[in-house]
Amino acid sequence: MNRSLDYLFGTAVGDRGEDAQGVISLVRQWAEKEVIGNRLDYQRNYAVLFEEKARVLALSMGLQRLALPEDQGGFGWHDPGHVADVAAVLSEVGRADSSTGVLLTMNYALFSILTRFSEGREGLVEAMTASYLDDGLKITSCVLPGPGSAGRETPLYKGRSIPALVESRDSGSTLSGANIRPFAAGLRADLFLAVCADEKGRPCIALVPGDKPGIERGREVLTTGLNALANADISFVETEITRESLIQEPEAVPMLFTLLNLFLGGVSLGAGMNFFEILGDWSDSRVIRGSTPLKENPLCASVLAGVAEDIACSRLLLEDLARLVSPSPRAWSLDTEGLYTYAVMIGARIQKGIMRAINRGMELMGSAGYAKEWHAEKHWRDVKTIQSLLCGVGAAAPVKMDTARFFYDCKEI
Amino acid sequence: MDHFDEFSRPLEYLSPLDKHLRTVLRTYIEQEIMPLRRRYDEDWKEHTLIEPAFDKIMGELGLQKALFPQEYGGWGLAGSDYIFRFAYQLCEELGRADTGMAVALAVTFWPLLVIHLEPYVNERLIAEFAPMFCSTNKAVFAANAMTEPQGGSDIENMGLLKGRTIRTTARQEGDQWVINGHKLWPTNSGGTARLFGVPCTTRPGSADIDDFAFIYVPADAKGVTQGGPYEKAGMAADKNGDIWFDDVRVPAWYRAHGPGRDAGAFYQLISFGQVASTAFLTGAMMNMYERLYEFVSTRTYRNRPLKENEAVAGVIGRIAGDIDICRILGHEAAMMGDRRNKPYGLPLVSEELVGKIRNIKDFVSDRAVENLGKAMDVLGCYGPDRDWDIEKHWRDIKIIQLWMGGKQLCQMESARYFFNCETL
Repeated sequence: MNRSLDYLFGTAVGDRGEDAQGVISLVRQWAEKEVIGNRLDYQRNYAVLFEEKARVLALSMGLQRLALPEDQGGFGWHDPGHVADVAAVLSEVGRADSSTGVLLTMNYALFSILTRFSEGREGLVEAMTASYLDDGLKITSCVLPGPGSAGRETPLYKGRSIPALVESRDSGSTLSGANIRPFAAGLRADLFLAVCADEKGRPCIALVPGDKPGIERGREVLTTGLNALANADISFVETEITRESLIQEPEAVPMLFTLLNLFLGGVSLGAGMNFFEILGDWSDSRVIRGSTPLKENPLCASVLAGVAEDIACSRLLLEDLARLVSPSPRAWSLDTEGLYTYAVMIGARIQKGIMRAINRGMELMGSAGYAKEWHAEKHWRDVKTIQSLLCGVGAAAPVKMDTARFFYDCKEI
Repeated sequence: MDHFDEFSRPLEYLSPLDKHLRTVLRTYIEQEIMPLRRRYDEDWKEHTLIEPAFDKIMGELGLQKALFPQEYGGWGLAGSDYIFRFAYQLCEELGRADTGMAVALAVTFWPLLVIHLEPYVNERLIAEFAPMFCSTNKAVFAANAMTEPQGGSDIENMGLLKGRTIRTTARQEGDQWVINGHKLWPTNSGGTARLFGVPCTTRPGSADIDDFAFIYVPADAKGVTQGGPYEKAGMAADKNGDIWFDDVRVPAWYRAHGPGRDAGAFYQLISFGQVASTAFLTGAMMNMYERLYEFVSTRTYRNRPLKENEAVAGVIGRIAGDIDICRILGHEAAMMGDRRNKPYGLPLVSEELVGKIRNIKDFVSDRAVENLGKAMDVLGCYGPDRDWDIEKHWRDIKIIQLWMGGKQLCQMESARYFFNCETL
């Protein structure tokens, strides 16, 4: 690859401050030096090296502090004005390793939500910030609405079943729900950011420390990708939560979905970009029919073009979504529902586009695309995992319903 | 629909063995493979779980003997007029449980077909290799060592390249062939196979099919070195690795048929491989249907079973519809192979048959990749969960789309036939 990714795919560099450029540049160096340059080693000792490299990024380089409030020792990127920068940083991380990207995504989503709804929760924000400032790598696990079980009615969030219920008590509340599948990283989560329903069935978010009594974890679930983020089913058994740990503002859950779609779009885009690099090297160095470079064969070139097109369009969509989420007097503004709809719609499109790009590119790599040695397959598994998790349930159907509801004012779907 | 068996297949195409084999095989598969298959991924290197299952179906049940004539202890199916349909049924049943196992078994047939299928029969080699497969209750594997480091799918592209890019050489010295070269990725390599079929050239750079040679090499021959198995995204039951042939000497009569005829016999394999590939895919998709059926019946959206929501039904309806169509196409591809000796059939070496069967395999591969991916998304947060089996099939079958020249070669073979392309 003789031209940079930034040159090839363009980027909104002009909109980005110097600080952001600096962080992005540092993360890119981390990605190349710590992971991409040591791919084979990273793959062979993944569990150990994931932890080691994620610590370098999150702790030594301070990425764990990125979304913490500035006045408490963080970088202050929790505010909506920084979402584009966060998504760009996560793309750089995803280029190296999607699991690390997802780990940071959930931490950033947590602090974006917590600080957005900090009124009356100042003590909680301060305590959580302090705990994420310490020397340990923190794992946040999201619990999202998803499939319900036949014969058991649950409160719904836009059709998706809300798996955990909150019940008020004198001193606070309790959270209950059995065998819930977190988004990722449930096995060792330090904190659960759980979408739940209050007694009136309204969606809200509970922040539950992972060591609280009344949390039961099942066995580790083997998954297609994101293998470093060990997951397990969780049961909340009348788990006590404080009053301020329950975020009942109606904008909270849509905002969580909006941020996850944006940030995870960044992670998958990064994986797609690295796949593009791998495929580029492959098509430069391989020949067909004895002498023709792969990329000079018109049929192969058309596949390569499709890959580039999907990645380029996904990148543009991601930047547009980031602009929508960032408050700007120049930008067209959407209310919470509108933003949510655009986020899930564009988020699904990005995941689909990246997945299609990798799927098609693997066709050209043949068996090498399938061997762990070339790393293409890791991106393929990781992005597919993110895509399925983001769907929640029912493939694209719930997102289509969300979209129709917003654009056509549907009432029943 | 009450059962996955009700996916369409032309009943008049079924082989005489269909009912009996399906019953016996399914029992074996459901007892010996399905309960353990979720642990196969971690067993990719050692095969401590996988090997006993192979022993059951290949050795004890005897499937590895199927091609050999009865007088050598085999089942005589290579001489039947339903070998393609038998293979389709076998590969579909096994593919339902584990496509990696299905591939390992079918590829054992592959090099052996070169000496079994009329008009390319070599009685002496059949007699030579029959005891290896027919006189044991342990699984014995063969491999077709085709792909080379520089050429990817070029060797499978016999129609155009006629072996011109092959770099593995065969040199005759007295009554022996001396083989040198490097092959990679054959199914059943990585230390599994006892016998290799090796496509090689007697004159490097030649596009004369007389210079193409197909020579059998026992895996324990002096000068054969095998690397360990590659670690892959899936298909743990199918080991793949590097093989180096360094001045390997085999008897001269280990060449399959001789100049010109080797290329014809080898070319016949292409369609067999594509038919088997299609069967692996329909088998995997049928199991996906079973698991998906359970999920959409027991899990809900808007507090109703997923399958009762029209939008979700639109997705799963298309998935099931595609499986139905793919299965019909797969049986048609198998029947094309079995019509080879009929007056209205096409020889296996014809461009028309190769193009049409490749076209079916390409179509079914695309449908399988897309539908398994979509099914994972229907399961949402459970899609990547191995306990639901769909993600395993999704990972496993991707390689089927990629192998044997992958999608692009399928498209070229298809274009060559349908549009009479002359230079592609």
